[in-house]
Amino acid sequence: MSATFYLLAAVAVIATVLVITHTNAVHALLYLIVSLLAVALIFFTLGAPFVAALELIIYAGAIMVLFIFVMMLLNLGQAATQQERRWLDPRLWVGPAILTIVLLAELAVTLSNTNRLAGGSVVGPKQVGILMFGPYLLGVELASILLLAGLVGAYHLARRDTRRERGEKPA
Amino acid sequence: MTTGGLIALSPLIVLAAATVGVMLVIALDRDHKRTAALTLASLVVALLALPIAASATTRQVTPLLVVDDYALFYIGLTLAATFAVAALSYSYLENLAGQHDEYYLLLLSATLGACVLIASNHFVSFFLGLEILSVSLYALIGYVRTRQACIEAALKYLILGAASAAALLFGMALIYAELGTMDYAQIAAARPPPGSADAVLLLVGWGLMLVGIGFKLALVPFHLWAPDVYQGAPAPVTAFVSTVSKGAMFALLVRFFAPMNIHAYPSLVVVIAAIAVASMLVGNFSALLQTSVKRLLAFSSIAHLGYLLVAFLASGALAVAAVPFYLVAYFAATLGAFGVVGARSGPDGDADGFEAYRGLSRRNPWLAAAFTAMLLSLLGIPLTGGFVAKFYVGLAAVQSAVWIPVFVMFLSGALGLFYYMRIVVIMYMRAPADQPITPAASLASRPSGAVLAILTLLVVWLGVFPALFIEIIQTWIAR
Repeated sequence: MSATFYLLAAVAVIATVLVITHTNAVHALLYLIVSLLAVALIFFTLGAPFVAALELIIYAGAIMVLFIFVMMLLNLGQAATQQERRWLDPRLWVGPAILTIVLLAELAVTLSNTNRLAGGSVVGPKQVGILMFGPYLLGVELASILLLAGLVGAYHLARRDTRRERGEKPA
Repeated sequence: MTTGGLIALSPLIVLAAATVGVMLVIALDRDHKRTAALTLASLVVALLALPIAASATTRQVTPLLVVDDYALFYIGLTLAATFAVAALSYSYLENLAGQHDEYYLLLLSATLGACVLIASNHFVSFFLGLEILSVSLYALIGYVRTRQACIEAALKYLILGAASAAALLFGMALIYAELGTMDYAQIAAARPPPGSADAVLLLVGWGLMLVGIGFKLALVPFHLWAPDVYQGAPAPVTAFVSTVSKGAMFALLVRFFAPMNIHAYPSLVVVIAAIAVASMLVGNFSALLQTSVKRLLAFSSIAHLGYLLVAFLASGALAVAAVPFYLVAYFAATLGAFGVVGARSGPDGDADGFEAYRGLSRRNPWLAAAFTAMLLSLLGIPLTGGFVAKFYVGLAAVQSAVWIPVFVMFLSGALGLFYYMRIVVIMYMRAPADQPITPAASLASRPSGAVLAILTLLVVWLGVFPALFIEIIQTWIAR
């Protein structure tokens, strides 16, 4: 039981360190996805399959796809084809693939043996929902304000008229 | 949540509604003056909602927030300080090109975050309030995007803030793993006997939480962001960071640690005392070396938070009243000082070097007088609020025999005489003949001039007639 946790945690830590050390953005993103998968699996083995699913859908799914889209959009043009050919280089995906295979093996072991769950009980979506809209209702509301603040801040910082702000005429 | 709970939360609901309302108005039409007026009006409405909230029968609103007299006092202080910051910001932003409306949105959401921190009674609201405050501040610090220093300051604050939030979260997780509760009162009640293995895990948790709290308060091992962020951020935002953000976090620190009697854990007391002593020494000595007014104020604010920790270490009825009094005096003087810096700043950058203040007394005697009053209050000269506040803290510390910190406080505080008076002396020196005279109209426009006048009067009033204010504090806090 604890061996499962430590193996998953090791995968997560190794993948995260590689995210930081890699200078190739796509390479780093692949490792980030592996790291998120490992964290999702840790949640799963702790008896929180709902949180694990959310982690996969929101982080590994939506946010990472967004990242990769942005990166592809930034690389349009002649060099893009070359770039994409380079992304298919085995050196790029072998590392993340090995780590993912470790995760897959662990998932198979965990699923085949339900006693391997570390947490005593399994917390399902219903219980999470009852808590969210019961005692933690204000937490949900505050999180929405947090997202609003992040959205407004990101909008302001990324807006595209610095030229006018410097007092120059718009192009 | 009951109707009573909604009434108790009314100041926070007003703030949240104002954030959304101002956003919708901006979406229809941008107008700097209207956005600022709406922001100021909603802050006044939130202040007027405080007595209504005080009359509510329900104090504990869901497990997350508690709206007691203590919270209402600090929420009132936060709202008043934000009002001053918003008024100062209006004059400051008028001088700059670009869109200013989002600034007020972020200011309102940051204030909401600070209020949630103050009223928080649970780790969940603690962390959410902290994040709302921090995320809004990241964008506010970098608000003037055309300035390199602004973006640099925002980036530094973002990276260090994220790291310290991670430490805080890890500390909370350890405490939750040990005690199985995230409620402050239950944490205080369920503590294991000092010295047992469980207490060690708790101590580690508290230590990690102190990292997160110490970062927000810019206490010494975690203070490295302060000078750069103070210097880079626009002056009104710097005022907000050093008053509202720190004040809310300090209110939370007192609420979290006060019920558990930290004196039962000698190691925790030693750590906090060491942080206080280091903050006072580093703050005061580094302030001596600065050649930038904003950096000087950053180090002086580090030292002031050290003084506040001395009051926190002291126990007893005096200490309970000393912390809010000190915070009010510190708020007034800091807001005023950064207000003057903002009023002296033009579109190209903030007035930061000492030279920008040379001969200010001749060109704008009122501004010079206000700045002098603020600096004297920060120094703690009699007849200013800062003196009474420092005296109060010293008295409380002596009564509870917190000897080493209180000695460091008075000895290192004396250094303030050198660095604060340096600015005062420069302001009253003759300006060099070749220096262009800034037109008086752009120095302090009406809203910021009014705010500065009120703050100056407040600083003097707190120093001359503190009794009335101490009475207010005692009815609100020590009840």
